[in-house]
Amino acid sequence: MNALLRRPFFRDIVVVLVVVFGVGSIAMLLAHVSPLDGFGALFDGAFGTRSELAETLVQTTCLLFPALGIAIAFRAGLFNIGAEGQLILGGFAAGWLGAQFPLPGYLAIPMVLVAGVLAGGAWGAIPGFLRGRFGANEVIATLMLNVVAVLLATYLVNGPLQQGGAGASETGTLPKAAQLPDLIADSRLTWAFVLALVVAFVLRWVLQRTVFGYELRAAGDAPEAAKRAGIDLSRTAFVAMALSGALAGLGGATIVAGVLHRFNTGLSPGYGFIAIAVALVGNLDPLWIIIASFAFGVLQSGGVAMQAEAGVPRDVVSLVTGLVIIALAGRRVVAKLRST
Amino acid sequence: MNATLAAILAILGLTLVKATPLIYAALGGVLSERSGVVNIGLEGILVAGAFTSVVVSGATGSPVLGALAGIIAGMLLAAILAFAATRLGVDQIVAGTGLNIAALAAAAFGLVLVYHQPGASHEVPALGIAGERTLIVLAFIAAVALQLVLARTPWGLRVRACGEDPSAAEAAGIDAPRTRFWAVVIGGAIASLGGVYLSLAELDLYSDGMTAGRGFIALAAVIFGRWTPLGATGAALFFGFFAALQYSLQRAGVPSELMQALPYLAALVALAGFAGRVRAPAADGVPYIRP
Repeated sequence: MNALLRRPFFRDIVVVLVVVFGVGSIAMLLAHVSPLDGFGALFDGAFGTRSELAETLVQTTCLLFPALGIAIAFRAGLFNIGAEGQLILGGFAAGWLGAQFPLPGYLAIPMVLVAGVLAGGAWGAIPGFLRGRFGANEVIATLMLNVVAVLLATYLVNGPLQQGGAGASETGTLPKAAQLPDLIADSRLTWAFVLALVVAFVLRWVLQRTVFGYELRAAGDAPEAAKRAGIDLSRTAFVAMALSGALAGLGGATIVAGVLHRFNTGLSPGYGFIAIAVALVGNLDPLWIIIASFAFGVLQSGGVAMQAEAGVPRDVVSLVTGLVIIALAGRRVVAKLRST
Repeated sequence: MNATLAAILAILGLTLVKATPLIYAALGGVLSERSGVVNIGLEGILVAGAFTSVVVSGATGSPVLGALAGIIAGMLLAAILAFAATRLGVDQIVAGTGLNIAALAAAAFGLVLVYHQPGASHEVPALGIAGERTLIVLAFIAAVALQLVLARTPWGLRVRACGEDPSAAEAAGIDAPRTRFWAVVIGGAIASLGGVYLSLAELDLYSDGMTAGRGFIALAAVIFGRWTPLGATGAALFFGFFAALQYSLQRAGVPSELMQALPYLAALVALAGFAGRVRAPAADGVPYIRP
């Protein structure tokens, strides 16, 4: 146990558990709820029935895509706070195109998903380009572009790209052919979950086993050495940010095509931000991030039951998520980000 | 007085109202960043100031005590970031992001605990029109004062030295972690006044989301204002002016989303160097812990 604790990753897991259960318990006590009842309601709400477990996996999927994107950027030494905006624009592109152009089944779903990838990727590429070309700080740029993304989507969906029959701040409904098929009947869980797992495994392979992955990690781990070895840092930054945005955008597209069946400006309760915590807890390793996404998926879906059954406001989940991010901000992977 | 003049005066008055919280937040950001700590948590500090001041004003019946409590809350939140940044050497941006999420959630949770209702607090004793005017004037005084402090005082020089090169500052006998710590905490006190203004001067309650991203607009103002107190104040006034114009321009057919996006787009343009050379303090965001 002691040797295990000395390994930084496992120490982090202990810290995270202490934050989640410690702060969570204090908050529940403040709300005059026994932590046993509060966490009991949370876990029961996340696993209690088949449909609740399915909903937990839906939340897992929603977090996994942006978290993988954020991890790519981190591995390249870049911080993408902009996943939320990339996810929203990816969702918008998917929803608008999907509702606008009803294609046959074998084309509709790929079109919707590719639209999300391209829109999110383009939005991620902007800060990548600004960083590579002008040396503009990608953190501030992605932060600013988050807000611009929400405003842009709101403007487009209510203005020039408004669709007939659609309500305020949403697109029309996707035709059946463009909706992702269910994985579990009568739930919101679709094949998006499987797609997210596949993407995680592919990403792991790309990072560990390809030249591109090697260059990306080298740029993040030792930028000076990477430059001397002939790696084009501007290009790596651009590609990493575009890829990061593409994954977040794909996440937005799967929410539209799998969960809501239309785009809505409020489609994300902050998945792009929660995913920062997920990526950090998952040690920036795609396979661990799957597990971290599940853990935060439990908090997300169980939080609803915690509020309804035990009377603890769901905000406790966000509070704990924010504190987990602060607690992990000192991680060695993170700390070396801007030390060069 | 003719109608045009009255309209212009109304816009200018509204500009001051919209700009004041931005000025406070941006000044807090400038002080923090000039010492070398990027404060992404400004939004959270605004929330802390706005929420705490309302709760204490409601509990004590004194809006002045409320305002003081709001300042203390802002300082405490800033102290968390400052401690993590100067003693633990964490990534300031990651920590600040977490701080924002936690502060917003804590305030939402606090509303349920204190007022037994989600969304908004009750109405509480507020600072009133005299208090609002005082806070507006004070914002400009604070801007000039901070400009002088940074440019002309020994402490200001030490702060700037830590923001440019903390190792060199240490070699010259400056306690860099300590200087950075207090710059961030005092910056938190200034920024929290923006939150107090929103909840106790412009209104008389706290509601979820009332800060509406002003902490991020303030970050844009810091960059657009080239990391100087007067520059950031000018940028805040510029953004406040467009916020004030929003309703008039919306009637003229300009989409309100475009107006709201303006500060962020302006900051992007400034960041990319299209608006002349923009240089952050050299050690801005670079962790420094004593070896």
